[in-house]
Amino acid sequence: MSALVLAWRNVLRNRRRSFVTLLIAALGTASILVAGGFAQYTYDSLREGAAREFGHLTVAHADYFDKDEESPLQYGLEGHEALVAELERDRRVRRVLPRIELSGLISNGDKSMIFMGIGADIMAEAAVRGPFLKLVAGELADGDRTDGPPRVLLGVELAESLNARPGSSLTLIGTTAAGGMNAMDVEVAGTISTNWPDVDKRLIYAGIGTARRLLATDKVGMLAVFLQETGDTPALRAELEARDPVHAFKPWWEQSAYYVSVRDLYDRIFGLLGVIIAALVFFSVTNTLTMAVAERTREIGTLRALGAAPADIVGEFVREGVLIGGIGAGLGMLVAGSTMVALLMFDIQMPPPPGRADAYPLRLYADPVFYLLTSLVILALCAAAAWLASRKAAARPIVEALGHV
Amino acid sequence: MIELRGIGKRYRVGDSIVPALSEVSLTVPHRAFVAIRGPSGSGKSTLLNICGLIDGFDDGSYRLEGENVGALNEASRTLIRRRHIGFVFQSYNLVPVMSVRENVEYPLRLAGVSDNERQRRVDAVLAQVDLSDQAERRPDLLSGGQRQRVAIARALVKKPALVIADEPTANLDTATANRVIELMRELGRQYGATFLVATHDDRMTAHCDQVRTMRDGVLQ
Ligand SMILES: Nc1ncnc2c1ncn2[C@@H]1O[C@H](COP(=O)(O)OP(=O)(O)OP(=O)(O)O)[C@@H](O)[C@H]1O
Ligand SMILES: [Mg+2]
Repeated sequence: MSALVLAWRNVLRNRRRSFVTLLIAALGTASILVAGGFAQYTYDSLREGAAREFGHLTVAHADYFDKDEESPLQYGLEGHEALVAELERDRRVRRVLPRIELSGLISNGDKSMIFMGIGADIMAEAAVRGPFLKLVAGELADGDRTDGPPRVLLGVELAESLNARPGSSLTLIGTTAAGGMNAMDVEVAGTISTNWPDVDKRLIYAGIGTARRLLATDKVGMLAVFLQETGDTPALRAELEARDPVHAFKPWWEQSAYYVSVRDLYDRIFGLLGVIIAALVFFSVTNTLTMAVAERTREIGTLRALGAAPADIVGEFVREGVLIGGIGAGLGMLVAGSTMVALLMFDIQMPPPPGRADAYPLRLYADPVFYLLTSLVILALCAAAAWLASRKAAARPIVEALGHV
Repeated sequence: MIELRGIGKRYRVGDSIVPALSEVSLTVPHRAFVAIRGPSGSGKSTLLNICGLIDGFDDGSYRLEGENVGALNEASRTLIRRRHIGFVFQSYNLVPVMSVRENVEYPLRLAGVSDNERQRRVDAVLAQVDLSDQAERRPDLLSGGQRQRVAIARALVKKPALVIADEPTANLDTATANRVIELMRELGRQYGATFLVATHDDRMTAHCDQVRTMRDGVLQ
């Protein structure tokens, strides 16, 4: 008879009570794993989303991120073509795309709206990033054509306000790099949606050449560097910063306030949830073993009289706690794993996260390290509960324990 | 082997102090079979608990095999109990989730006796208490007499110097009680153990080397 067999028999002494406790440990483990798996999946999607939006690294003038420009592109990049070529020589880099942030007024002749836009190589962006914009009407077009007015993409809500459709003519009005005013006629190529209603109210996408003409400059605002592997971002950033003190290199996570805030929020929600569940498991096991200890007081006294040390007694209860915790954690992992597989088979859509308009599929990640750590924490909690429940009874005067009924 | 000198023990009950033992002196030689009798509440259990090192005392001294055990801490007393003292309780106190064999084996596990040796000694003592055929059963399936024989086997299997038996026959009918008493005497001799038995039972005293009577905490 091994010590664990004895512990198991003791666990079975009150089957119903032990079963309920085991169930709580299992459900607790499963809840932590499911919630954590969901958070990890969400972080991962947001990470890829953010990297796709901003590029893994953004390269800009050293002062671009920190200082306010007095005129557009005061801290823009000059002669960026050489920098692009140099960056693209690294085989970890997939593509480097120039961008210019634009703002100004857009008018249909009767009505003017403020726009916040991006000048970019639209076709190249689409090629690198995949379908990054949802085209609502019209077409994605290379805005910088020479055989007609430049073409732009409008956010759906902005297009609605201006009563514009693909083919409509509009005028962009902005401040040039030198500080003067400039206006430019453009044609609407299509309307787009980012699924962020607040963004779609002001968004325009123009070609990079169009943007430079509107600002009357040779500069670009920044370079978006797309990598083959998201995981290479920190290393490449460090190398670039060491090699090139002239420019600023910002990784995607510093650019995406959304990723950071969702992660903060979820970390807090799921962290709190985890603590509550852990406490629940802990108190449930403590309760069960405290009852078991009380019921077995006379037996504890007997074993102590026969020469068992308090540590032997506590050890027995800890083994019982660990058995309950271990089997519970095992079952919990099974439940969480099956939930993950079930979600792959049945497509369930999650409602849009705060500030967004698009639903997304509910998926879970099953990170082995996370599974292992969670089970270890559950085991440790059960062992600690058993220790707490039994240490007093184990050290109680033997005569008192023997007289206990 | 046991030398008690002027042992006193008091219990505090609320504000008053109840003397349980006063000025108890007792000398028990090796291999003796000694009965302590006396009316209920006279202090028999208190005396046996002190002798079995599961309870302390307030006055006097206790030498066990020459060692002043009154001065020892709980860990040292545990070690002495583990190696040298066996217990037989009035209500058997077997562990219900262990088989008869496992109950008897338990003290040997505590003492760190090897697997083979354990097996051998458990088989031998179970044969001596005539329970070889019940070895794999759980104690709750046995009769009271059988259970007390398991308890005797459990007390003796480690070859203790001293066995403490507090009213071992109080829960048994006469015939069974006689058998249990005979078994204790017989095996006590074979295993070379000193027996200290508390009893109301006059059948017991007929078999004893020494019979002492306790009255109001005083040994006569
Ligand atoms: N834990 C305790 N607290 C207070 N008084 C106690 C305690 N244990 C025993 N006593 C008292 O000590 C005295 C001796 O008790 P003890 O149990 O030793 O007697 P006993 O001879 O074994 O009696 P019985 O034949 O009923 O078993 C009694 O007066 C009893 O009430
Ligand atoms: Mg008594």
